[in-house]
Amino acid sequence: MSVQPIQSQTSADAPGVKPLFRARWLRWLNRRLPPAPTMTLDHRKLFVLPTGAGMGLLLVIFLLWLLGTNYENNLVLALAFLLVGLLVILPIHTFANLSGLKLQRVETLPAFAGDYGQARIALGKTGKRHHERVQLAWPPEEGVQVDILEDDLREIRLDLPLLQRGRVRAPRIHVQSRFPLGLFRCWSWVDLDVEFLVYPQPRSAGPLPYGASVGEGDQQKPFSSGGDDFVGLKAYQPGDSLRHVAWKQYAGGRDLNSKEYASGTDARLWLDWDLLGGRDVEVRLGNLCAWVLEAERAQVPYGLRLPGQSIDPDLGAAHRHKVLSALALFPVQGVSQ
Amino acid sequence: MSAGASQLQSLLPRESLLWIFAAQLAVLLPHTMHLPNWLLGAWVIAVYWRLEVFRGRREMPGRLAKLLAVSLVVAGLVLTYRRWFALEPMVALLAVSFTLKNIELVSRRDALLSLMLAYFLAATLFVFEQTIPYALYGIVCVVIITAALVAQQGRRSARPGRALGLSARLLAQAVPVMLVLFVVMPRLGPLWAVPQNTKAASTGISDSMSPGDFSELSKSDKPALRISFDGAVPPPEQRYWRGLVYTHFDGRRWSEPDAADGYPRWGRGRSNRRGYDGAGSERALPAVGPRYRYQVIQEPSHNPWLFALARPHSETRGVRETDDDTLVYRTPVGARLAYQVRSWPRESVADSGMSAAEQRRNLQLPASGNPRARAWARARFEEGLDGEAISQALLSLYNRSFTYTLKPPALGADTVDEFLFSTRQGFCEHFASSYVFTMRAAGVPARVVAGYQGGEWVEQQEYLLVRQYDAHAWAEIWLPERGWVRVDPTASVAPERIRDGLQSAAAEEFMQDALLPLHKIAFVTRLRLQWDMVNYRWYQAVVSFDSERQEGLLRRLMGEISPLRMALFIGIPLLLALLVLVVWLKWSSRGPALPVASRLYLRFCRRMARAGLPRNPGETPGEYAQRIECALPRLGPMAVRITRAYERAAYAGDARAEKQLRRLLRGFWPIRLSRQARTQVQT
Repeated sequence: MSVQPIQSQTSADAPGVKPLFRARWLRWLNRRLPPAPTMTLDHRKLFVLPTGAGMGLLLVIFLLWLLGTNYENNLVLALAFLLVGLLVILPIHTFANLSGLKLQRVETLPAFAGDYGQARIALGKTGKRHHERVQLAWPPEEGVQVDILEDDLREIRLDLPLLQRGRVRAPRIHVQSRFPLGLFRCWSWVDLDVEFLVYPQPRSAGPLPYGASVGEGDQQKPFSSGGDDFVGLKAYQPGDSLRHVAWKQYAGGRDLNSKEYASGTDARLWLDWDLLGGRDVEVRLGNLCAWVLEAERAQVPYGLRLPGQSIDPDLGAAHRHKVLSALALFPVQGVSQ
Repeated sequence: MSAGASQLQSLLPRESLLWIFAAQLAVLLPHTMHLPNWLLGAWVIAVYWRLEVFRGRREMPGRLAKLLAVSLVVAGLVLTYRRWFALEPMVALLAVSFTLKNIELVSRRDALLSLMLAYFLAATLFVFEQTIPYALYGIVCVVIITAALVAQQGRRSARPGRALGLSARLLAQAVPVMLVLFVVMPRLGPLWAVPQNTKAASTGISDSMSPGDFSELSKSDKPALRISFDGAVPPPEQRYWRGLVYTHFDGRRWSEPDAADGYPRWGRGRSNRRGYDGAGSERALPAVGPRYRYQVIQEPSHNPWLFALARPHSETRGVRETDDDTLVYRTPVGARLAYQVRSWPRESVADSGMSAAEQRRNLQLPASGNPRARAWARARFEEGLDGEAISQALLSLYNRSFTYTLKPPALGADTVDEFLFSTRQGFCEHFASSYVFTMRAAGVPARVVAGYQGGEWVEQQEYLLVRQYDAHAWAEIWLPERGWVRVDPTASVAPERIRDGLQSAAAEEFMQDALLPLHKIAFVTRLRLQWDMVNYRWYQAVVSFDSERQEGLLRRLMGEISPLRMALFIGIPLLLALLVLVVWLKWSSRGPALPVASRLYLRFCRRMARAGLPRNPGETPGEYAQRIECALPRLGPMAVRITRAYERAAYAGDARAEKQLRRLLRGFWPIRLSRQARTQVQT
């Protein structure tokens, strides 16, 4: 999948705008349409211009005028003038179709770098007017197309390719419609203050480092497949791995118990920054991320040790998010974003 | 992913294809009258192919198939049309490009291109015909094409009712702009010579007259001319609309002089442009004023000659006068043509003698034939009678023993002899022909004039409707002291033909061959006249609206034409339209109407805000009232009462509370109150 990189800063891809003017354009846009989680489109935020087909119709009108003038044919001229009338009233209809559309950021779902981030956006009407054929996109993505009709409140999901971990501010959303004839397009660049939390891209780093700990002095031999010294049974607690449940005893009519294993001094799984010494920061974070996913899959409680930060071992979605967030927000070193 | 999706999105769905085909069919159908039939066949094949592609049964045509299709169609065009610089082949070319586009109709872009072409092709329809039915059909076409554009916006928009409805609404809104532009946009006149519609056969009076021609014309009740007068109206017996002058007789056929005689039709016309040096015209206009001013609207005849009373002069562009006292147009009249004419009384123009060539032309007779007529004429000449007396003798002969009929017996080789001395039954052409022959034989220069005579008033003399059956032939003789004098031999046989028209002169035979004797039903006749009236008004108001009429209309509307008034004329409707629009936008963006109590309470909040104490977001009415009480003790009790009334009205549905709320609000003007409070504090 080839995806064009997208800057994580606010960027509205105005086609054909030279870089020199781009900064000015963005500044102007920021003044005119400041970021806000909720926005109602109105005349200050919308732009209308004819499409290629609209210019085509203009050419047809000119040709009709030539035809009518040369043949001194009033009906041909009248048709040309009628089409001019169409071109006069159409931008208003196209504008009215978008004006009054209310956009609201609902939430963004965290994603891994190299994947698509998804933002949920609610669309609604402020008045009686319908909003038809509304396209929303983060160009050059395809985006979605929706109709907002009778008392309709629509929630859409917009995808944005994400390359860098960390907090990524989404660019402006391109909201566009060519309704009703496709001869004019009305558009806006909306900034709903959408921010993605992007986890590092998982990079496989081999098997989980069971029992490995670094820097304690009494270095133990690394276990290849988890602690296998059976210690005894303890009462099952929610969060305990299902693999460690004493199913045999449970089936025999006893309470639900977990088998306890011990592996060396510290039986718990620590995903440690220092285990991956000598690699690039981003690669290390990617490896840690892959381990986190692996540990979740294996239902092994895991903890995270980063320089100046430590998260105690646990399992579950909340823990996973906490750990991955720590990885995502790990300060970037050397590389300025 | 994205590439695939974009292709899917730009591929044409079924309904948008069907809409395009519907629009194309609507535009092509009336064109089948002018275009070769195989073109419609080619269109059907192209559409069938495209639909098969849509169903997945066939592939999109490859490059070879496309090349083949193009060369086939071009070959068809080449075989059908010999001349390329004409109207039909150009329209056919347009229709062909339209047809061929169908087989490669893939993307939205193609669809839009095809519909733009459809707009253009719909307009070319009007180049062929400008009648009301065509105009109405043109409107239908434009609505359908626009609906097809709407349908390109997706499935919801493609539903027939919605697409047509939206299209009609948009076009209806465009109409005011069209009207203003139609009235205001200057008409420049042709920028370059354009090919004219050439295919149609000529109708009406032709450039020659042989026995039977005019009785053929008398079977048609199609309109030929519509004439409206400005001022004086000639009496019925003076309504001779001269079109052609026949001077050459070959024993059977009267015709115009040949072009071989150095007599080209347009070339013999005098230019009516005076202006370069004042000497551009050969004949000065008479000193006395014109007797009649009128406008003639001529139906397309595909002949260049025009029709007017004697001694005409026209300022209309492209119209010239001839030495024969008629008008000609620079090209055959292919569409309705309007021209302004002024006619002088015949006596006002002193004919300055007759040149030898002209005399020879007007005395020409075939070398032999019709001996009895020649003998009769010689006898009159030898009696010593002058031209006028000979004419009288001949007319009284007609009057005594001739009958007027639409179905005369056939004539043999000596047409004049047989008519004068044996059959003695005839139609205007027989009378005119025999009269002119005999006069010439007697040495009096004479000529046959063909045109229309009479006409029927429509709608309280608004205009005179002249139909094909009013076609007539009469004679003119040259009298040395008076010049050319009109003599109508038919009038001496059937005066009612001249006074009341053909219908009363030959009631038995009139329109006998018509499929339905509609002319005998008064109601139908009236209806047809009324329809003609509508057509006439349509033509006057729309089709013949030119720069002159435009100026007249603008002058009537604005008083005088100045840039300021022009700007106002365009600007005021524009501003009004914008205003309406803004109101509509505001109105339609408003949410659903609030209950009365809430509206009243909001008014209270607005007034409080103006007094400097707006309600905070999320603040309940109760909290707000408390805050007001603390901040502005003077307003407090009132605010509390209003709030309480509102709560009762809104939540308990208490109608009395609502009334109370209204009353309380009427007397609640916080600005004034707080100002009073401040002044009290100061004093």
